[in-house]
Amino acid sequence: MKKGKLAKITALFLALMLCFTILSRAADQAGVAVVSTNRPSNMVITHQVRASGKVVQNQETAVVTEPDQRVTAIYVNEGERVEEGDLLFEIDMTLLEEAILKQKQELEKQELQIKDAKSQEDVNAMQKANEQASAAEQYSLSTQRAGVGLQRAREDLAEAKKALEDFRKQKKEPQEDSAVEAALQADFEEKSEAYIQAEQDLSTVEWQIEYAVNEALQAARSQGILPNTATKTRSSPESEVPELILEEDPALLGGETQEPQTSQSLQTTQESQTIQEPQTTQEPQTTQSTQTIEEPQTSQNPQIIQDSQNTQNIQDTENPQTLPEEEGDLIIEEIEIQEIGIEESETAENEPSEEEQNQGEEVQTEEESSSGEAAAAPTQAELDEIEASVRESWQSRLDEAKKKAEEALSQKEAAQAALAQYQQERLEAAGDEAAAEEKQLIAQVQAAQDAYEDAAIAANEAEVTGSRNVQQAGIPNASSSAARTNELTYQQMELALLKLEALKEVRGKIYAPSPGLITEIAVTTGQKTTDTTAILMADLSKGCRFTARITQEQEKYVARNDEVTLTDDSGKEMEGLTVDSVTALEEEEGYLVTVQLPQDTELEMGEGALMTVTKSSAAYPVCVPLGALHVDERQQEYVLVPEEYDTVLGTQTRARRVDVTVLEKNEMYAALQEGIISLSQEVIVSSDKAVENGSRVRVEE
Amino acid sequence: MKRLKTTLRFAVLSVLAAVICFPILFAVSGAFMQQWELEENLGPVLAQTEGMASWNLIPRAPSLASLVELLMDTPQFFVMFWNSLKLACCIVGGQLLMGMPAAWSLARFRFPGSRAVSMIYLVLMLMPFQVLMFPEYLVLDQMGILDTHGAVILPAVFSTFPVFIMQRFFAGIPEEILEAARIDGAGELRLFLHIGLPLGASGTVSAGILGFLEAWNMIEQPMTFLKTKSLWPLSLFLPQITVKDAAFGFTAALMMLVPAVLVFLSGQEYLEQGIAAAALKG
Repeated sequence: MKKGKLAKITALFLALMLCFTILSRAADQAGVAVVSTNRPSNMVITHQVRASGKVVQNQETAVVTEPDQRVTAIYVNEGERVEEGDLLFEIDMTLLEEAILKQKQELEKQELQIKDAKSQEDVNAMQKANEQASAAEQYSLSTQRAGVGLQRAREDLAEAKKALEDFRKQKKEPQEDSAVEAALQADFEEKSEAYIQAEQDLSTVEWQIEYAVNEALQAARSQGILPNTATKTRSSPESEVPELILEEDPALLGGETQEPQTSQSLQTTQESQTIQEPQTTQEPQTTQSTQTIEEPQTSQNPQIIQDSQNTQNIQDTENPQTLPEEEGDLIIEEIEIQEIGIEESETAENEPSEEEQNQGEEVQTEEESSSGEAAAAPTQAELDEIEASVRESWQSRLDEAKKKAEEALSQKEAAQAALAQYQQERLEAAGDEAAAEEKQLIAQVQAAQDAYEDAAIAANEAEVTGSRNVQQAGIPNASSSAARTNELTYQQMELALLKLEALKEVRGKIYAPSPGLITEIAVTTGQKTTDTTAILMADLSKGCRFTARITQEQEKYVARNDEVTLTDDSGKEMEGLTVDSVTALEEEEGYLVTVQLPQDTELEMGEGALMTVTKSSAAYPVCVPLGALHVDERQQEYVLVPEEYDTVLGTQTRARRVDVTVLEKNEMYAALQEGIISLSQEVIVSSDKAVENGSRVRVEE
Repeated sequence: MKRLKTTLRFAVLSVLAAVICFPILFAVSGAFMQQWELEENLGPVLAQTEGMASWNLIPRAPSLASLVELLMDTPQFFVMFWNSLKLACCIVGGQLLMGMPAAWSLARFRFPGSRAVSMIYLVLMLMPFQVLMFPEYLVLDQMGILDTHGAVILPAVFSTFPVFIMQRFFAGIPEEILEAARIDGAGELRLFLHIGLPLGASGTVSAGILGFLEAWNMIEQPMTFLKTKSLWPLSLFLPQITVKDAAFGFTAALMMLVPAVLVFLSGQEYLEQGIAAAALKG
């Protein structure tokens, strides 16, 4: 090989190498990212929330008019501004007048209906009164009859006793023997009295049970099944007894004489008048005062009247101790009062009783409405249940009474047996003839005694049965609300008429109720109006507010009472406003910020504006621009720092990744936890290419 | 018969030559292979994969990709290439500059202790680098030229091997020629420059080529004395290559071979004489 050729090849090779050196260096340099760096600084992170929104009205006013009126002209357009009293639209007068006429006729019809219903009610009330009177009559007859029977039995007994005594006097028996016999006789009489008493007690209890059951069922029917406290109280024996006492009380005070009862009845009438004179249903003050003047002792009267007529109103309790002694007589007394009350109302030409009935009904209605329960009709099963519970609550008393009666009977029989035996022994000792006669006399007395007892029990039963009938007759008829409903309908119609007439007065013109901006017109010229909104307007007198939507991220930095700056479209700033509320949007993500605008605001309704809220945090020592912060796929945040390496190509700068913890950040800066990045450490904040861990970089000076 | 003998001889020698040339062929074919093929072939050796290492002399998918990558995208390679060239040239130049007068004086002059000096040269030549490394390091450190190219060049410049080779050539110049020149009035310097150098040129060239090849392949010295990577010669580039960029490594090896081959070819005849001279001496 020639030397020259070799030299040429060598030279060419070296030239090529030189060439590639330059090329590769150029290529290498082209891939290097040029970065700018910054040192972390101590700063306060401020969060600035910017959101655009618009001005909306605080309140919308709906203009409504009577339905079914034809619109003849509309004087405003949507988006138009109106002042208070500006004419909005007009309706057809002929149609309006027609409607008024029609309404008047309807009103008249309704009035007639009310009258009809009222007369029907009067008839019902009279029938009721009749029923009560006949029941009372029946009662007094049967009790009289029983009384006569009893009287006769008593006389027979007395006669028999007298005959026996006479016989004995004639015989002139030794004093001691007769004293023993008298003692036995007295004992026997006492026992038999006690037996009668026990029997009476038993029947009283039975009657009370019936009464309580009836009462509870009545209450359930009238008030619906929902057992409110009143029903509960009433169905328990503890409150039942005082109630009865209450009813009886005036009679007890009055004693046996007829006089107080009459005064009582007088009061009843007077009472009922005083009650209804003022239209208010229950005015304790008025009634009480009248009462006090008339008879201070019977201060409970108003309540008694109401009790006898409307048992629902029983409320008070009084002196439970009086019960055991007087219980036997109570029923009778009560019935007497009722009787008198009925007679009284009859004599008073039905007027007061009728009013009372009405009043009672009213009270009842009020009670119902005040309790706020919908009166659902109770089912038969529920009624049965109520009855069973009442009966159960009374069961112990009934058992006790029965036991007492049985005991009394056995005691009486024992006493009778003792007396009979004694008499037998004595008679055996005496002479046969006289003994036979005396034996016969004693048997007569015995028979008379038995007859007397039977009569007494029968009389008591007659009383109980009669009083129950009277009581049942006294149960008021099912209340009929037809009259009241009619009245209410009448009032409604009257109101509607008034409205129509008022519309007529203004010649069918509808005016703006306040200054505002028309936002919606729901009526059309020539079409009829509906009962909904005719015209919707933004009420300018109530001011307006600014609303803007912000993201969940931004919401953290906006709170109520934060200061807000609004910038309108022309760039004018409004300062000193505060955030009124921040509420979460229901349908989509994000929050709604509202800012109440002052009355003299220059912002117009519907105008757009930009809201700016600035919030500053504490000072952080290590803060880097947000551009320096990177996030990897595992959400780990890191920064890149330039680091010099010794390489074949000389000292080169590469990016090194440093994981950091971000304490807080805004749109511009991020605050990092101290200790990871020193304040003298430069951090890559921007680059012209994507930079990764280990990328070659060139730091821009 | 003679023909058959020749053919047989040729065949045997060809086989031997092929065996000797195989590493070169290996490197050349590897330079045109792609990475995946190399990994497949060398995996069992270098990456602990299953099977036995294999080799295709002709690549299955020949590609110039790694060559392009090396030439266009690897400025590091060129930095090292030029470093190597610089080191080699400086060393060869220095060696010749220092070695020629030394070899001339040792070959031509008889002075007291000249044999001892020759012996010391011989001993020093036989000493491996590992023995000299530590003393050299201390001296270079003292001189303050560690981590510079001077630290590699300076010790190599005073290498004894070229002196030894050139001494043989200078010693072979007939004394009569020098006598004739002296009679013509030439001084000792003139003798060295005008007679000694031209006549001993083949020795000088072979010493230079051997020195160049040695400097070009030098590994321990730059590794020991150079810390800054940008000063490294090309011989340190290949050790950085792993199995991951084997293709790149083969290409780099091929490129590294080129200057050495060129230098060798240019001084082939002198080199043969030089080696022969060294052999004679040994």
